[in-house]
Amino acid sequence: MTSLAPQSRSDLAAPVDLTTAPATRRKAPPRRWGRTLYLAANIAILAFLLAPIAIVIVFALNPTPFIQFPPVGVSLRWFEKFFASRDFMHALVFSLEVAVMTTIAATVLGASGALAIARGNLPGARLIVATMLSPLMLPAILTGLALFQSYVLLDVGRPVWGLVAGHTLVTIPYVIRTTLAVLHNFDTRLEEAAQNLGASPGRTFFEVTLPLVKPGVLAGAIFAFIVSFDQFPVSLFLVAPGSETLPITLFNYLKFDLDGTIGAASVVSILLAFIVVIALDRTVGLRSYVKL
Amino acid sequence: MPSASAPRVNSLGLLILPSALLFALFFFLPIGLMAVMSVLTGNPVVMPNVAVTAKHYARIGNDSYYLEVIWTTIRIGLWTTLVALLIGYPLAHWMARIKSRTGHALLLMAVLAPMLTGIVVRTFAWMTMLSDKGVINQILTSLGLITKPLQLMYNETGIVIGLVHIYVPFMVLTLTGVIGRIDERLEQAAENLGATPWRAFLEVTLPLSLPGILAGSLLVFALAISAYVTPILLGGFQIMTLPILIYQQISANFNIGFAAALGMVLLAISLLLVMAYNHVLGLVSGQRELQ
Repeated sequence: MTSLAPQSRSDLAAPVDLTTAPATRRKAPPRRWGRTLYLAANIAILAFLLAPIAIVIVFALNPTPFIQFPPVGVSLRWFEKFFASRDFMHALVFSLEVAVMTTIAATVLGASGALAIARGNLPGARLIVATMLSPLMLPAILTGLALFQSYVLLDVGRPVWGLVAGHTLVTIPYVIRTTLAVLHNFDTRLEEAAQNLGASPGRTFFEVTLPLVKPGVLAGAIFAFIVSFDQFPVSLFLVAPGSETLPITLFNYLKFDLDGTIGAASVVSILLAFIVVIALDRTVGLRSYVKL
Repeated sequence: MPSASAPRVNSLGLLILPSALLFALFFFLPIGLMAVMSVLTGNPVVMPNVAVTAKHYARIGNDSYYLEVIWTTIRIGLWTTLVALLIGYPLAHWMARIKSRTGHALLLMAVLAPMLTGIVVRTFAWMTMLSDKGVINQILTSLGLITKPLQLMYNETGIVIGLVHIYVPFMVLTLTGVIGRIDERLEQAAENLGATPWRAFLEVTLPLSLPGILAGSLLVFALAISAYVTPILLGGFQIMTLPILIYQQISANFNIGFAAALGMVLLAISLLLVMAYNHVLGLVSGQRELQ
C-alpha cells in the first residue's frame, strides 16, 4: 500500500505535466493555422465551383464577339441575337414542351410507382427500387443508344413520344427517390388511424396519404423538369434533325462558334433553372431532398 | 408481428404496373435488343439472312486502337474521381460541420448552382476559361507571367478540369450525408485525449467516412466514363473516349452492330460499378441502423 501510493501519484502527475502545459503552448498556433488553411481551401473550392457561372454571365454581357478579359462594357446585343434567332427560339420552345411532357409522365408514373413500393407489400421491393433508380447511374448515352437502335429496328423514325419516353426514363428516378423519402418518413399510424375511424382505403389514400406525400412528389417533379430541360445524351440520339432541343442546338453552335450568343442562351437557361429552384425552396424546402 | 405487414400484394401494389411497363418497354427491351444487335452480322429487319457473330467483339479485342480508347476513358475517369474527391472532401466536411443554418443553405446553393446549369453551358464556360485566348491565359499574359498561352484545353487536362467541375457536386452531396452522420463527439474525445485536430481527423473522421468516399468515387467514376459533351468539346475532337466512339459509329458510319458491342462494353463496366455502389450504400445504411 505504502509503496503504491507515491507511484500512483507520479502516474497521475506525469501525464498532466506532459499533456496540458506543453500541449497548449504547442497546439495553439497550428490549430489557428489549420483552421485558416481549411477555410482558405474551401473558399478556393467554392471559387472553382462558381467562377465558370460568373464568367458566362460576364461573357453574355460583354459587347465584343470574342472572349475579352477584363470586360470592356455592357451590352444586351447577344440576348437580342439569341431571342431573334429562329433556331434558338424553336429549340427553347421545343425543350420546354419536352420538359413539360416528361415532367407529367415521370411524376405520374414515378409517384404511383413509389406508392406501390412503399405501401403495396410488393415482393422484392428492394430490387425494384434499385432497378428503378438504375437509370441514374447507368450511362444515359446507353439509354439513348439502346432506344435509338430499337426505334431503327421497329422503323418508327424519331418521334417526339420516343424522345419523351427516353427523358421520362432518366428523370423518373428523381421522382421515385423524393416520393419514397417522404413515404418512409411519415407515420403509417396516421393512415391506420383514418381507417380505424371508418375511412375506406380509397378515402384514406386521398385524404391522408396524398396530401402528406405532395411535397416529395412536387420536389421530384421539379427535379424532373430541370433534368429534362438540360438533358443531353439521350436527346443526342433521339432528336430528329430540324427539331432539336436547346442543349443540342447549343452544342452544335459551340462546335463552330464561341461568341456571346451562347453566353446569353446560358444565362437564360440558368435563370430558368433558378426560378424553378427558388419555387421549389419556397413551396417545399430544399434541404431534405438533395441528399444522395 | 402486426398483421398489417403480411406479405400479400394489396391494391396499392398494382400502381407499380405503369412504371414497370415503362421500364420493360423503354429500358429492358431496348437494352436486350442492343445485346442481340451486338452479336448479329446486320439489321434483321432489312436483311433477310443475318447470322450470329462475335466479329464486333473480336474487333474491339484485337485492335489496340479500341483498347486504347477504353483505357483513355478509364484513365480520364480515374483522374476525375481522384481530383473530385480531393476537392469535394473539404467542402463536404465544411457543409456537414457548419453550425449556422444560413451558412449551410448558402453552401448548398453554391454546390447546387453548378448542377442546375446544364452540361453544355458549363462546358462552354470552361472553354472560355481554358482556351488559348481564354480568361486564364489572358490574365496570365497581362500579368507578364507567360508569353506563350498555356495549353489548357484540347488535351486530357482540360477534359478532367471540366468533368471535375461537373461531377464534384455529386461527390460533395454523397460525402456530406456520410460525414454528417459521424458523431462529432468522437472527434472531440480524440482531441481531449491530446490528438491534434488533424490527427483526430485522420484517425477518427476519415476512416468512418470511408463508405462515403467509396460511394462518391464510384458514382463520379461511373458518370465521368459515360460523359460525352465535355470530352468532345474540351478535347477538341482529338481525344477519343468510349461514348464519343459509340456516337461516331452511329452518326458517321451507321455501324449499329459495332456501336452495340461498344455499348455492351460500357454497360458491363457500369453494371459492375452500380453493383459495387449499391453494396457500399448497403454498408452505409447498415451502419446507420447500428447507431
